[in-house]
This record gives sequence, structure tokens and C-alpha cells, in this order.
Amino acid sequence: MLQFPLWKRLLVLGVVMLGAWLCLPNLLNAGQRAGLPGFVPSETVKLGLDLKGGSYLLLEVDPEELQQNKLLELSRDIQRSLIKKPNNVKFRGREVIDGGVRFRVVEPSQVDEAKRRVRELSSPVGGIGGAQSLDISEQNGVMTVKFSNARLEELEVEALEDSIEVVRRRVDGSGTTDPNIQRQGSNRIVLEVPGLDDPTELIELIQRAGVMTVNLVDDAADATQYRVDEPRLGKVKRLDAYTPEEYVVFEDPILTGSDFTSASQGFDENNSPQINFTLNSRGAKAFGEFTTENVGNRFAIVLDGKVVSAANVRTPILSGSGRITGQFTIQEANAIAIVLRAGELPAKLQVVEQRVVGAGLGEDSIRAGTMASAIGLALVAVFMILAYGLWGVFAVVSLAANIMLLVGALSGLGATLTLPGIAGIILTIGMAVDANVLVFERIREENRNGRSPINSIEIGYKQAGSTILDANLTTLIAAAVLFWLGSGPVKGFAVTLGIGIFTSVFTAFVLTRMFMSDWVRTLRPKKLPV
Amino acid sequence: MLLKYLPTEPKFKFMKFRMAAFALSLILIVGSIAMVVTRGLNFGIDFVGGVVVEVETPTKVDIGEIRSALSSLDLAGVEVTEIKDNLVAEETDTTIALIKTKAPEATGDEVEAAVQATAAGILTALKSEFGDIEERRKEAVGPKVSGELMQDGIMALVVALSLMLVYIWFRFQWQFSVGAVLALVHDVILTIGMFAVTQFEFNLSTIAALLTIVGYSMNDTVVVYDRVREELRRYKKMSQIDVIDMSVNRTLSRTLLTSGTTLLALISIFLLGGEVLRGFSFAMIWGVVIGTYSSIFIASAILLHTGMRRSTIAGGEAEPDPQGAQV
Repeated sequence: MLQFPLWKRLLVLGVVMLGAWLCLPNLLNAGQRAGLPGFVPSETVKLGLDLKGGSYLLLEVDPEELQQNKLLELSRDIQRSLIKKPNNVKFRGREVIDGGVRFRVVEPSQVDEAKRRVRELSSPVGGIGGAQSLDISEQNGVMTVKFSNARLEELEVEALEDSIEVVRRRVDGSGTTDPNIQRQGSNRIVLEVPGLDDPTELIELIQRAGVMTVNLVDDAADATQYRVDEPRLGKVKRLDAYTPEEYVVFEDPILTGSDFTSASQGFDENNSPQINFTLNSRGAKAFGEFTTENVGNRFAIVLDGKVVSAANVRTPILSGSGRITGQFTIQEANAIAIVLRAGELPAKLQVVEQRVVGAGLGEDSIRAGTMASAIGLALVAVFMILAYGLWGVFAVVSLAANIMLLVGALSGLGATLTLPGIAGIILTIGMAVDANVLVFERIREENRNGRSPINSIEIGYKQAGSTILDANLTTLIAAAVLFWLGSGPVKGFAVTLGIGIFTSVFTAFVLTRMFMSDWVRTLRPKKLPV
Repeated sequence: MLLKYLPTEPKFKFMKFRMAAFALSLILIVGSIAMVVTRGLNFGIDFVGGVVVEVETPTKVDIGEIRSALSSLDLAGVEVTEIKDNLVAEETDTTIALIKTKAPEATGDEVEAAVQATAAGILTALKSEFGDIEERRKEAVGPKVSGELMQDGIMALVVALSLMLVYIWFRFQWQFSVGAVLALVHDVILTIGMFAVTQFEFNLSTIAALLTIVGYSMNDTVVVYDRVREELRRYKKMSQIDVIDMSVNRTLSRTLLTSGTTLLALISIFLLGGEVLRGFSFAMIWGVVIGTYSSIFIASAILLHTGMRRSTIAGGEAEPDPQGAQV
């Protein structure tokens, strides 16, 4: 156990040097780090949101709303399919109800044709051989079409992926730095924004449905005859987003959000904010035709059910680009532009968890954590040296190397350090000496039983080895479970605790052993100091 | 060196007191459960949903003023407490207040939105009353997430305990693993009981602490068990009770030293680590003490009652003890 050939010695030294090397950037400030040559690592320990301040949001895609939206879409598709000529199917009472689309086929002879047409809308989920996407049932001419479970699951996954993309574009568009967006489970999104200590505006931006349409305004209609969200005769009432004005607009949109290719906030000649946009070719064509036919008429730009701008067509707009002016502020114009660019959400996003830490608390936590670590380390060091003298010094040097390796590993692995993570480091400090103590006590015992110092050390390490392994594996199991099931800060604790187990076993069992071996072989003590 | 005063081989008859220890533990366990049932735990919003807001006011204000500023909001069970950044800090000219409230009454999806709105409402009310307050922390957890976190926490404990059971079974034999896991369950129950007594907040980091206690206590138990196994192999004729007493005694100085250093580190976190870590470090301190006790008086003592068999252990080569004459 006490043989340390040169290669082993170099290896141990190499590991410690590597730890120091990876640890190094943490001791420098940002400016010094930027000046480092390329081969020097510049990764520091990443601080968690609880230490550097920032916002953590957990967003959930509303599955019921998602299903509702998709059913409305399906309902429109069914209608389109059934009215196709020739042999169009006559039907009545089409509605979305109880998680399905229901309608009655008027002529019993057309039931089979209706089924055939609806079945054409169904497709195997996940490619050929998969379950059908639609469940179709019929009773006395009343047909019910539902999504199959396989399709519902697929819709959820698609909606989550789409939502993540939309959220990413909106967050990026808002000029936020370094956001972290991740999928969690089947219907959730984790959004972490460092440094943001008031996420209210960001939440508003993210939660906008982002459904944008351009509709023709019927200025001849009497607004009192119509209601918001209850279309009648193909028209519907819309309220202005900023003024008390009300509009009656035609339900069928001229343009939808997907026709826009870009949008940005700018200023008009009066220095009022405006939104510049460009349309894709389909949009440009549709808008060109519309403006040609409707010179003098008004159109409204409707975002999430509210009119953000309404304007008269003065001349045909054929260029496929234009601008939106209105009563909005710069921030609002910017938000609209972002939402337009990012597209619409498949369903409402609900904030189900929000955790925000201000920079002040973060700094306090770092200070408290550093202080607690330093005092904890000092106490343990004094205790060990008082208890074991020279051996205590060996253990404390190992402990210092241990912390260096731990911080180096955290930096090198790009792990995130949280406040509980700091607690994990301090706990590691306390527990790291355990392996040393186990060995020292064993050596003492062997020595007391009449073995020579060198022999006692040899046997002590040998006997304590399996105990150290067993004892640390159990703590590792606890850390692994925490990592697996914990979230956020707790995960950070599991990481430092887990890494700490490896570094402390290495330093206690290998590094201290090397010191002990050198000491006993060079000085050849007749008696052990303890 | 201090160790000179710590005997290498004390001869305490620990196992003689095992029945008293069992009785004591039983009383403590029953007491803990009774406390949890009657007083309940002070669950944090992680587990029951709700809002926590921590603010620093620009000038010193009375906590009562903050309470009255919030009275118009009609919050469910609001608690306002002043926070001392660390327990040895000097007086400051600002006040840091922690406001905690439960999830508002509402149903379905509305409650999720209502929780988020409550957080905003509290800050607005405080800003209009005290001006430029600093928002140090804002947490709003909806009932859906908190329910899941609670489940995950219980799951984590069960999984960790089961893994320990399997590990010890694999490394030793089932008689050992029963003792070890009973000791762990004992530690967990007593720690939860302590939270019921002190009404410290029981939250996610408490679960982290509980798991760490499980790991630590297991660590302690394994060290003693390892020794029991070794001595059982060596002293084939000695009675089990003497073997266990000897093993506990021979590992006693290590047990005390490791508990000592760990406690030093933990006390440092408790006093200086700030409000967020206080519950965690408190749980750990208690857990280390309990874990050390249970390794000796529960885990080791139970070995005498689970009928561990030497035959399956005695495979290893028996080393002659230098002091064999004593035995």
C-alpha cells in the first residue's frame, strides 16, 4: 500500500495539477480571463440563479385548450371536405362538443360517403402502420369524430416543441441575454433568465397567443347589433386595444400571422412608433388583390382578438411590405413586432411556477456561503491539526487539494453552483476528513496492537479500504437519488455532494497515503505521533 | 495532541443499554408521529403552493406596518417575518421582510393564474406604501407543481431507502440490511418530528437534508458493520454481544471525530450561511447527532435480534489477534 513508483506519483500530481489548472479562472476577474491565451481554460464555475439573481419560470401548455383549438381546426377541415363537389354531403348541426366534432348527415344514403371523406382526413400516427389519427363513429346518421389517443399524444408533443420554438424566438427577440429554455416532461417548458429580476413583462410577452389577422372592416354595420367573439352572418365585433372604439369586421381574414415573414419596430415621420412588416408571396398576392379591390375601405389588424390598428386603403399595396401605425407605445410596438415574428402559440401557456431572485439576495448568499465555507474549513483544519498533529497537517493539505479538485471539476464539467451546492461543499469539507480519520484510527489501533509504525500504516490503509468504499458508496447513492429526482438548487447540491465524494476519496486515500508513505520512509519514526 | 486523551480502545458496554435505547427511540418515534399529527409540519410553498416574497425596505420599518400594508389584499393565511441576514450580523438601517402566503381559494386553472397574480399584488401594495423597495426574492408555486414536488420528495426518500436496503443486503446479509434500514427510518422519522416541534419550514431543501442524513447515517452504520463482520470472523468463539460492543468501541473514536468535523462545518453554515440554508443546516445538525446514535444503538443493536448467522460471514481468513490472550 505504501509503494509509490514514479509513474504513480506523477499521476497523482498530474490530477492535482489538473484540478488547480481548471480552478485557476475562478481566481481571476472577467478582464483578466479575457486576456488569457487560448490554451488556458477560461470556464469558471457557473452560478445558479439563486446566486447571481434571475428568473426561473415553469410554463405549461394547457392540454384542454390545445385539444379545443385542434378540434376547431378539424371541424373546419371536415366542413371543407364534406362540401366538396361533386356529391357534396349535406349535413347539419356541426359542433365541437365533449372532446369531438359532431354533425348529422341529412341523407341516410350519404352516410357512407361522409365516413369515406372524413376517413381521408385521418392518417396513421408516426408513419405507415401506426394507429389512425381519428376515431370515427356513427349512430343514426350522427357522426362523431375524435382524435385517437395516439394522435392526442402526438399533438401534445408537437405543441410543446412548437411552443418552445415560439418562446425561444420571443425571448430572444426581447433582447434577453443568455436565456436557457428546456423541455420538461410532456407539456412543460423551463425558462431561466439570469439577471432578470422582474419577469412581469417577459411573462406578458410569452403568454400572448400571438394570433394575428388582418380583416376588412364593415363600416356600414351597426356595432350594437354584433357581439365580441360571437360571429353572426360572417361578421364579428372587435374592440380597439387602446381606445374605446368598436369595429365590425368580416370574420374571414385577408392575412394571417403565417403570411408575415418579418416585422420590426420603427418610427414614422412624426417619430411615433410603428411596426414595419414584410409578407411572403402568398400574403403579398392576397394583400395586393385586397387593396386593389378595396380602395377607400378600412381594414383592421387584429392581435389576439383586439384591434391594434385600423387604416384606410389609399392606394393598392403591391410591394408585399407595409407598416402598422397606432396608439401604441414603443414597448408595445416592439412587443407586437416580436410576437408577429415569433408566430402564434398552439395553445395558452400557463405559468405554474415562478422563482425570482434579486441580485441583492444573490450577492448576500454568495457572501454568506463564502464566509460559512471559510469558517467551516478553518474550524475543521484546526480540529484536525489539534487532534492529529503532523498527520492532521497531511489531512488538511489533502483537504485543500480536495476543494481545489472539487471546484476544478465543477468548472471543467460546466456544472452549476447553487446555494445548496455551497452547502454541499461545506458538508464535503466536514465529511472529507472521514476517510482520513478512518485510516488514522486504524493505524493507531494496529500500532497499539504491537505493529511497527510502517507496518501499521500499511495494514491500516489495507483494512480501511473496503470500509471507505462501502461508506462512500452509500452517500453516493443518496446523491444520485437527489440528482435524479431533485430540481434546480437541490440538483446543484447533489452535484457537489457527488463530485465531492470522488475527490475526497481520492485525496484521502491516495494523496494523504502518499504523504504518509514519504514521511514514514524518510524519517523512519520509531513511534507514531498519536 | 488531543487524541492522547481519547482512549484507543474504550470498553463501554453499549449493548447492555440497548433495551433502554430501544425504549427511548420508540418513545421518540411515537412522540414524533404524534407531533406531526397534532401540530403538523410548517410546509413551505414548495409542497403546498403559495407565494413567498422577500423585500428590503429603503428605511427601517416595523413588521406590523408591512402587515397592515398587506391587509387590504385579503391574502390567505399571510405570515410576515423579519429576516436577519445571518445570526451574528450587526444592526442595519433597512428591514428585510419575508412574506409568505398560501395559494388563494380558486378552482382548476384559475388557481394557477391567481397564485401568480398574488405575487404581483403583494409587490404593488408594498411599493405604494414604502416606495422604492428592493425585491430580493419572489417565488410563486401553483398547486399543480407543489403536489408533484411533494410526490417526488416522498419518492426520493423511498427510493433512497430501498437502494440502501439492497446495497447492504448485497454487501453484508439481510440481517444487516434490516438493522440498517430500520435505523434510517428511525432517523428520518425523528428528523421530521423535530420539524414538527420547531415548526421550521419543511421544504425541498429539507428533503435534500433528509437524504443527506440518510447517506451520512448509512455511512456511519456501514463503518460499524464492517467492523462487526471483521471481528466476527476473527473471534469465532466470542459471544455476539461482546463482538458488537468491541466493534462499536473500536470505531468509537472515528465516529466521534467525523461527527465532530461534520458538525463544525454544519454549525458554520447554520450561523453564517444565511436564511435560505438555515432549515437545511438545522436538519443536518440534528440528523448527524441522531444518525450517530442510531448507528450504535439501533443498527448495531438490532443485529442481536435478527439472528445474524456467523456461518455466512465466516468465509474470510481469520487473522490471529495480537492480543488474542485476552479473549
